[in-house]
Amino acid sequence: MSGRARAARVIAKRQVFEALVSPGLYIALVAGLFLGYALVSGFARAVDSSGFNPQLRPLYDIIGRGLEGAFGKTFVDALFAEGPLPFAFSVSFAPVFLYIAVSSVFKFGLEKNAGAVELVAYGPADGTSYLIASYVKDLLLSLFSILVLLAFMVAAAALYNYLAGPELFVAAVVAFFLSLALLAYGSLASMLTVNASSSLALFLGIIAFLLVVLFGSFAIVGEYVRTLSTVIARAVQWVSPFFYGNLSLRANAAGDPLGFVGGLALLAVLAVVILTASHFIISARGVRA
Amino acid sequence: MIQTRQLVKRYGTFTAVEGIDLHIRPGEIYGFLGPNGAGKTTTMMMLLGITRPTSGEIFLFGEKYTHRRLDLRRRIGVVPEKHPRGVWPWMTAEEYLRFFAELFAVPRPEERISSLLEKVDLLGFRNRRIREFSRGMLQKLSFTRAILHDPDILLLDEPISGLDPLGIRQVRDLIMSENRGGRSIFISSHQLSEMERICHRVAIISKGRLMAEDTMQNLVARLFREREIHVELEKVPQGLAARLKKLPSVLECTVRGETLIVTVPRQGDFRRVVSEFLIGQDLVPLSIQERVVSLEEAFVTITQENIGSLVSDGGEG
Repeated sequence: MSGRARAARVIAKRQVFEALVSPGLYIALVAGLFLGYALVSGFARAVDSSGFNPQLRPLYDIIGRGLEGAFGKTFVDALFAEGPLPFAFSVSFAPVFLYIAVSSVFKFGLEKNAGAVELVAYGPADGTSYLIASYVKDLLLSLFSILVLLAFMVAAAALYNYLAGPELFVAAVVAFFLSLALLAYGSLASMLTVNASSSLALFLGIIAFLLVVLFGSFAIVGEYVRTLSTVIARAVQWVSPFFYGNLSLRANAAGDPLGFVGGLALLAVLAVVILTASHFIISARGVRA
Repeated sequence: MIQTRQLVKRYGTFTAVEGIDLHIRPGEIYGFLGPNGAGKTTTMMMLLGITRPTSGEIFLFGEKYTHRRLDLRRRIGVVPEKHPRGVWPWMTAEEYLRFFAELFAVPRPEERISSLLEKVDLLGFRNRRIREFSRGMLQKLSFTRAILHDPDILLLDEPISGLDPLGIRQVRDLIMSENRGGRSIFISSHQLSEMERICHRVAIISKGRLMAEDTMQNLVARLFREREIHVELEKVPQGLAARLKKLPSVLECTVRGETLIVTVPRQGDFRRVVSEFLIGQDLVPLSIQERVVSLEEAFVTITQENIGSLVSDGGEG
């Protein structure tokens, strides 16, 4: 094992331990589980003799319209064909992921400013070791959270007599691959900025921009905005994890396994590209606080 | 151990370090001195690979060093000026050292940590959190971290800055004891009197340029071609200074109160000549002593007055 890889492993181990013994992750998980529970239990009340009818529950009515506008009716039908679990899983993972990403970007900025990165760089590590360690820690925490939420969904399925079918696991896999690329953006934001607050602002700005462009190009907004968003989306979609995630989900809904795997592979490639850029930035800028 | 060739660092149009040639030999304590903004920290950061030089070369342990050579960097131990308080303040001293021991793959870490904590007098504080440590304790902990992996050379940045007299003494003892064990030590510091006590050789840097690199004795000899003999008398008779000045070895003679200040060439001992002359004049010297030039004086002279002549003389290197 190279010095850099070894250092990254040791630092990541320390960071994972710190994350697991602090309450933040568990609070985010509980929030996610509450959301998931609300959606799972609400779904039962939005079912009539004709099947799932979102209009029966105001919450599902709003969600159903929004998703139909964003991804189309076919996607929504496919999403709920198995019951509420894939959707509930995705919604419950969102705050947990947000917590993991935001806390990581903020922590990296704080530790760099405090001199921690410089301190480990006095030894057998360098900025890239720290970058890799932080990224690996985020991935492990995401994976841990996904597994916890999956376990909850499986338990909820047994409780409410829903089917914990392949779509739930597809949602989990897509969520993980989306995390790969989005967390890489978090690393990039940390490398490009000088302090924790600006890192966080840049990261949230990137995510918000990519989401606005994605949703703006769909049918839920006015014609002018949609046209503008579509033009911007064409230009930026190649660097948007949401674009590839959407591609993968659509391929899965259309029964195209190759397209599904291809979308995931592109998410992984995007993550590698962003991380490589982050590596070059930290190598050039150095680790001094 | 460490050698640099024409090391240059520029930030835009500003030149922080300009063509520095350093040579730190095995087993020596090397003082790196210079006023604020002289380029000391930039040079240290380049030696550590944290900052990349604009041009020039660095050789560590005989091998060419770049920021990618983590294998060479791990053979250095670093004590920064201040241990960053914001870094993992919740860790205990032992957890902190265990983390670095793992990072450096230190064999039998528990044993090593205990023995080093005992050496720096922190064994009783091993389970105390870093945020509760005083400045001196942090410095000793930082020192312990730096030698944890048994490095070949220690780089210390202002190691005694801000410490109380006891802390200074403890850190000095640590430096001396590490050096006695054969470890080379590179110290960047403003504490000139302290450097004078412990360094085998010093380098003086000013405005990014290396002004001198030599032993203290050679440095003073090069800087001060004359020296002063101070003779205290009960009463200085009129005209004595003028008569003394006629001696062939006396370059200058002045009177300050009841003290004669006799300037003689640097080479040779002229105390006997002066005292014999005074006895011949029926005068009894109450005390006669040669003024020793301190590192501080040399530093001030080098950085403020003799820059031009020293640069043209060149260092021993």
